[in-house]
Amino acid sequence: MTKITINGREVEADPKRPLIAACHEHAEELVPMYCYHPGLTPVGSCRICQVEVKMGEMPPRVVVACRTPVSEGMVVNTEAPGAHDARRQCLEFLLKNHPLDCPICDKAGECDLQDYSFSEGQGEGRSVEPRRKLEKRKSLGDTILLDQERCILCSRCVRFYEDVAKQPQLTVAGLGSRSVISTFADRPLHGNYQGNIADICPVGALTLKKFRFQARVWNLDKHPSTCGECSRGCSISIEVLRRREVKRVRPRYDKDKNKWWMCDHGRFAFDRFNADDRLVGGFLRGAQGLEPKSLERVFDDLAENLRRKGEHVLLVSPWLTVEEGELVRDLAQATGATTRFVSPAADTDLRDDFLHTGDPCPNRRGLTELGFEAVEAADVSTMLAGATCVVLVGESVGELVTPEALAALPRSIRLFLLDTRAYAAPALRGALGVPDASERTGTWINVDGHPGRLAIAKAAPDGVPPLERSLRAVQERLDAGAEVRA
Amino acid sequence: MVIVKRKELSLMERLFLPEIVRALSHSFRAIFQPKITRQYPEEGLPTNEVTRGQPRLTLLEDNETLACVSCGLCEVACPAYAITIDGQETDRFIEREPERFEIDMLRCILCGFCEEACPKDAIFMSDELELADFTRAALVYDIDKLKRPKAALQKRIDYFYKVNDRWRKSSSTS
Repeated sequence: MTKITINGREVEADPKRPLIAACHEHAEELVPMYCYHPGLTPVGSCRICQVEVKMGEMPPRVVVACRTPVSEGMVVNTEAPGAHDARRQCLEFLLKNHPLDCPICDKAGECDLQDYSFSEGQGEGRSVEPRRKLEKRKSLGDTILLDQERCILCSRCVRFYEDVAKQPQLTVAGLGSRSVISTFADRPLHGNYQGNIADICPVGALTLKKFRFQARVWNLDKHPSTCGECSRGCSISIEVLRRREVKRVRPRYDKDKNKWWMCDHGRFAFDRFNADDRLVGGFLRGAQGLEPKSLERVFDDLAENLRRKGEHVLLVSPWLTVEEGELVRDLAQATGATTRFVSPAADTDLRDDFLHTGDPCPNRRGLTELGFEAVEAADVSTMLAGATCVVLVGESVGELVTPEALAALPRSIRLFLLDTRAYAAPALRGALGVPDASERTGTWINVDGHPGRLAIAKAAPDGVPPLERSLRAVQERLDAGAEVRA
Repeated sequence: MVIVKRKELSLMERLFLPEIVRALSHSFRAIFQPKITRQYPEEGLPTNEVTRGQPRLTLLEDNETLACVSCGLCEVACPAYAITIDGQETDRFIEREPERFEIDMLRCILCGFCEEACPKDAIFMSDELELADFTRAALVYDIDKLKRPKAALQKRIDYFYKVNDRWRKSSSTS
């Protein structure tokens, strides 16, 4: 650790990180940054992070904090008049060609340029020349749209592909005021990490096509959660519009798992949270097929069926949380049932050595530690062949087992489905809606053993009880029955 | 405890008849004075450009497209949460337009914050003040009910600019 002085206070700074990191950590006043990103190599192209540094007997100098290494005895003043003026002039030049798009820009509200311009308070430009005209709707592949006028050429996106994704695709092409971000020969971007460049863009130049004009960011409620698309379990923030609709999923900094990044596969998988075809309420088979019944009746019937003698199987989804898994385990111990979790085939083409593990079970490790054994989705039918009562528990378990396999199960099996969606199957005796991953709390353990918390981002549809409550209700009925018999 | 002493009535007042005559003379004189009662449903309310009536959306010169770009600033400025906006993409030069723009007139308190917040001169307080319907749902106005040609709001727009200029000149920050 190196001892330096920032704004009159002696602090310990990490010599491996640039001066701006120490300023962000210790100074009360925020040193602005556009080109610097803690996860990328600093280049010092935007010059907005200038601070005044005094070394020894030398007169103080204004330097860019992101390209200055920390050294012993530095005296840093982030708010010195010289440094502040230099920053202000940089800002004015950046705004010279920046279009007044804030009312239609998707970044407005979380835009670094907007925030710092606002805090500087210079509302009107002094330039009389017209702003440069460049292409405003340039498509960079299926995910990203580039607005060249808004770009301030910080080159964060270029460095992301070089440093993090390790597959350089973008570059700064052209000279002077005609410099633009571009791919080689206008080829579309490829790879599974394109969405990140829209996150790290400090202005609204790179935007997600899927989020384009979907919502104003200040209207989104942000809920910390965990991605369930692979066993990495990246920390994410689920952003919900008007408490109903998930509009976007963004990575949340987590030093153990995903740092600042996440893959497009997980980022754009949120449509499952907005699905309309949810299984709501309880159903039991009556004279006219499945009939809606009260939740109590479904719990009674499920407990009754589990209490009978026979071969019972509790087949759970790999999306089940540890807490729910414990309840299922207790249920299995009370009834002597076999428990397995469905393990779908791995997405080998998505697997890479950065984030995506290719294993679509977000809680494989947590469930394995609880004593659940995996069963391949393809082998489920053979495994269930001799069973008398089968309970499928958890979000998207029916989808993973496949609807065809469910429909093909013989009528001798009494099948109960606790899922987010309904499936038609002749063996189906009862069904009950469960909340999805954006509607419940719990813990998943990722492939490296790090826990990831789920948080309630939006309310479950009316008539969908929390899965933990449903499992407890069945357990209580089983316990009560056991007492009566004893 | 307060004891109120009543005023002693004079002889003329105790006689009553002169007082009745005096009162009637007031009534008779009022018959010939100009009438100040407004016959409301038949006769409209007096409005001018200062009237802050219900907010309305302006159309551009072509009288078809809305000036609104659905930036959501009125939505966020609205203290009564009366405005709901969803945006969508268009092919025009300004790439964004409202897909849904609803003002719940039952919530609207006619404060005019939306007018002040709007960066695109797209929403102004009209001189329309009357609001009645048979259902609550009918009073949630959508784009079709809100849009007005710019000419219909021109007086208010001119007044708005006049007041803004005066305010800007008087403030010392410029």
